[in-house]
Amino acid sequence: MNTETANPLLELIGIRAGYGTIDVLHGVDLRVMPGQVYALLGPNGAGKTTTLGVASGQIQPHAGSVLLDGHEVNGVSPDRLARAGVCLIPEGRGIFPNLSVAENLRMSTYAGVSYKQVQERAFAQFPRLQERRNQMAGTLSGGEQQMLAMSRALSTDPAILMLDELSMGLAPIIVEELYEQVASLAEAGLSILIVEQFAQAVLGVANEAAIMLHGRIQRTGPPAEIAEELTAAYLGMS
Amino acid sequence: MIFGVRHSVAVATALGTLGAVIIAVLTWKGAQVTSETFLVTTYIGLFLGALWAMYATGLVVVYTTTGVFNFAQGAIGVFAAFFYWELHVNRGWHSILALFVVVGLFAPALGVVLDIVIMRRLRTASLVVQLMVTVAIMVLLLSVVGDIWEADTARRVPYLFGINNGIDLGPSQLPWHRLIVFVVAIAIAVAMRYLLRRTRIGTAMRAVVDNRELAALNGARPNVVSSTSWALGSMLGALGGILIAPELGLDPATLNNVVIIAFAAAAFGALKNLPMAVIGAMLIGLLRAHTVAWLDFGSDFRFAHLSIAPLLLLFVVIALPQARLEVGRLVHHLRRHERFTKWWEGLIGCGVIILLAVAFSGGWLNFLIWDPGAWGSRELNSANEAMALALIGLSLVPLIGWAGQINFAPLAFAGFGAFVYLKVIGAGWVTFLGLDRLGLDPQDIRDIDNGYWILLVGLLCAPLGALVALPAARLRGLYLALMTMAFAQAMSLIFFPNPWVMPIIGTGRQFPHIELFGVTFDDRRGFFLLLMCVFAVVVYALVLLRRSRYGRRWMAINDSQAAAATLGVPVVWTKVVVYALSAVIAGIAGVFWATVSGNVDSVQGFDLLIGFNIVLLVAAAGVSIPVAGIFLIFIPLFTGLGHRLEDSGNVDFLVTLLDIMTTYGPGMLVLGMVFNPRGAIFEMGRGFSPILPWRSDARAEIAAENAQKREPEIGELGIERPFTPEEVIAIDRRLGILDEVVPKEGYGAARS
Repeated sequence: MNTETANPLLELIGIRAGYGTIDVLHGVDLRVMPGQVYALLGPNGAGKTTTLGVASGQIQPHAGSVLLDGHEVNGVSPDRLARAGVCLIPEGRGIFPNLSVAENLRMSTYAGVSYKQVQERAFAQFPRLQERRNQMAGTLSGGEQQMLAMSRALSTDPAILMLDELSMGLAPIIVEELYEQVASLAEAGLSILIVEQFAQAVLGVANEAAIMLHGRIQRTGPPAEIAEELTAAYLGMS
Repeated sequence: MIFGVRHSVAVATALGTLGAVIIAVLTWKGAQVTSETFLVTTYIGLFLGALWAMYATGLVVVYTTTGVFNFAQGAIGVFAAFFYWELHVNRGWHSILALFVVVGLFAPALGVVLDIVIMRRLRTASLVVQLMVTVAIMVLLLSVVGDIWEADTARRVPYLFGINNGIDLGPSQLPWHRLIVFVVAIAIAVAMRYLLRRTRIGTAMRAVVDNRELAALNGARPNVVSSTSWALGSMLGALGGILIAPELGLDPATLNNVVIIAFAAAAFGALKNLPMAVIGAMLIGLLRAHTVAWLDFGSDFRFAHLSIAPLLLLFVVIALPQARLEVGRLVHHLRRHERFTKWWEGLIGCGVIILLAVAFSGGWLNFLIWDPGAWGSRELNSANEAMALALIGLSLVPLIGWAGQINFAPLAFAGFGAFVYLKVIGAGWVTFLGLDRLGLDPQDIRDIDNGYWILLVGLLCAPLGALVALPAARLRGLYLALMTMAFAQAMSLIFFPNPWVMPIIGTGRQFPHIELFGVTFDDRRGFFLLLMCVFAVVVYALVLLRRSRYGRRWMAINDSQAAAATLGVPVVWTKVVVYALSAVIAGIAGVFWATVSGNVDSVQGFDLLIGFNIVLLVAAAGVSIPVAGIFLIFIPLFTGLGHRLEDSGNVDFLVTLLDIMTTYGPGMLVLGMVFNPRGAIFEMGRGFSPILPWRSDARAEIAAENAQKREPEIGELGIERPFTPEEVIAIDRRLGILDEVVPKEGYGAARS
């Protein structure tokens, strides 16, 4: 991977954004290079999810610019970005609870892939979903729901994948299984931006990591180094 | 769990069937049942069922694809039917062309406009606001129809292909129109089922209801999808209206009432299951046809066959399990910090009400009306009517405003109060109970001061409220609205038209003038003063109740039943109490309401639309604020002004303006809730309270808001620079922290 000369796939420059009149992000700079797995770590309330919201078009920044493969995409709606290949798996089970598993998969086809491909790939990766294809997604177990959410990432060939707290509330064994999928996507060359509160899950997969605190990125570096500083950051010693 | 639910449904079905069989045996006409008559009756039933299935399909499709239960679905059909009549009959367009213009162009446009102007803003509104706004759209559409196509000419929408052409069925003929309606209804239901379950756009329509943000992240355009949903729903409503109009005639109220039957049918499918809704519609159609053919309820229950749908709706809503109704519903709370009215503020306010009433009825506020010289009984009479309705509206304040329990049946409670009062003062019960033999003279009963009887009526109404509360304890939101609506409709069709309950209007008053403390209130002015005093007393009682611990319980239940229960609030019992209280207020109000004119029309007087209007007006004024009901006093002011203008006859522009205001005003007011869900009085109070010398908190709030407007960004929560005390107060207000928590002198003083 030549991360020095290539254009960054996703770049945030001086992003200030928030909810209503209260700003959460106070100038966030972030670059994800092609093929890179970028782990954004930090405690509760640091602004990680807001950063993903800005990158996916859900939140309009008050200042700064969002660049996707060198093009500014400020103000572009989230559905257009999704059709252009930005795939965000949101925090807390990104599924439609009152739709069946199959209907959830059908919604993935808006990204421009065929229903057949979506089903084939999802069921190949997660055979359990095939067994439950006619079940309401809201009645699946937490792990199965997260698999269903992940299958959108696996089946739609996105340009960049963003994962928000994939591990939240799940058993360690399921987290491991999900991150194996992430690792194989990364090996295939997909650029991934991962947000996690607990670093252990991602550090094996990531090749770049950053600590976010109080709406700013405090430090960027190799995952191993960042991991050491993370404890200090969580305890408020940074 | 599943067994338990099935079990309760089975028991309820068995009981319902048993009741129906008993009623059938008791009312059997004795006509001979032949296979021919039976078959013809069945055809009629299936045809009726198909008509209603069409409406029910529209309702279910709109609810599944938008998450809004559209009370205006029937009114869209009414409008479309009249529009079709205008194009086809009045302007002579070909039926296919007219059908295409109305169903294919106008209806989808109406749906898209509704979505963009109103529905989009309703997405995060509470269910009460959502329901009120769709009811307001219904009322508005009906008034537009009444305004454009005045009721003075008779209109008919012709059958497609005429009524005389058709298939010969032996004893009778099946006209093409009915066959087409039947086929179209079934085809639409099948097509909609396919659309919702098997196509991507249908899936997206349901997905947008489930999780709008996620639908966008998938790449669907949520706004386009929901506009499509509204366009589709509007088209279904329009088609239903046009096809049903030849059968029912072009009468807005009759056509609109079809929607209640559709509610019942939709409830069969738990509001989301299309095939079950169609089966429900067919079942109601068959029941109706066979009831009319074989049963005779007698003149006392002459509307009983019409009550099949509301009774079934009541039954289905109570019996069926309602799983997954509220999954993933995000309700946006626009709650400022809550300030309770102080006891002395309430006292002053109620004193002002009474003083204003004295001034108003004395004719001292003559500048409010056009022609002071002619001020008289007409204005006072409509003022009395309006205040009686306002008094009924007060019963909704604790129920809807505080406990969040939707109730469309205030008029049924009020009517029950009037009925009980009539029976109690009639003293027929003295002989009935054999008390006269113990030396009690019925005349003594009649001589007792009415005040005691009115209080007794209140107490006797409490059990009815508690009875309604029992099913309500396990129902929520929409199902509660449907249940109370069905209850109101059933009461107005079975209970009130019975001459034993509400005597047929003859000469003279059924309800005598009220006598209190030895004073008989037999003139309009005195009665107006009495009404205003009662209103003020009830308002004050509610103000005190809201300040009490018990009053806070209701608000706790409204915010979160689960949280209230974990804090030790007995949820069911608390609900029963609030329903009983509401019934007490409504029952007492009913006595005054019936006494205004002295007679109640047992059929027209309890029309569901009147009940809707009470709820709407109270909601638009501000259902959580007791004094908001006084808003209704503006109605007689406007209508009185209108009368005067018409009499003088030379100010056409003003007459038209007032006409528009009185016709569309109420509906428009409710639409205002879209932008301002807490009601008009609330906003007026916000503007007014800073003027009061002791409300420094209100002034501080306005100042803090203005400061916030000047400085859009509060800053990095105390990191970049220290907070000023104003900013701390501003943040507290935003976060809804109560007055009591904030030190009286503010943070700044405490710090220095």
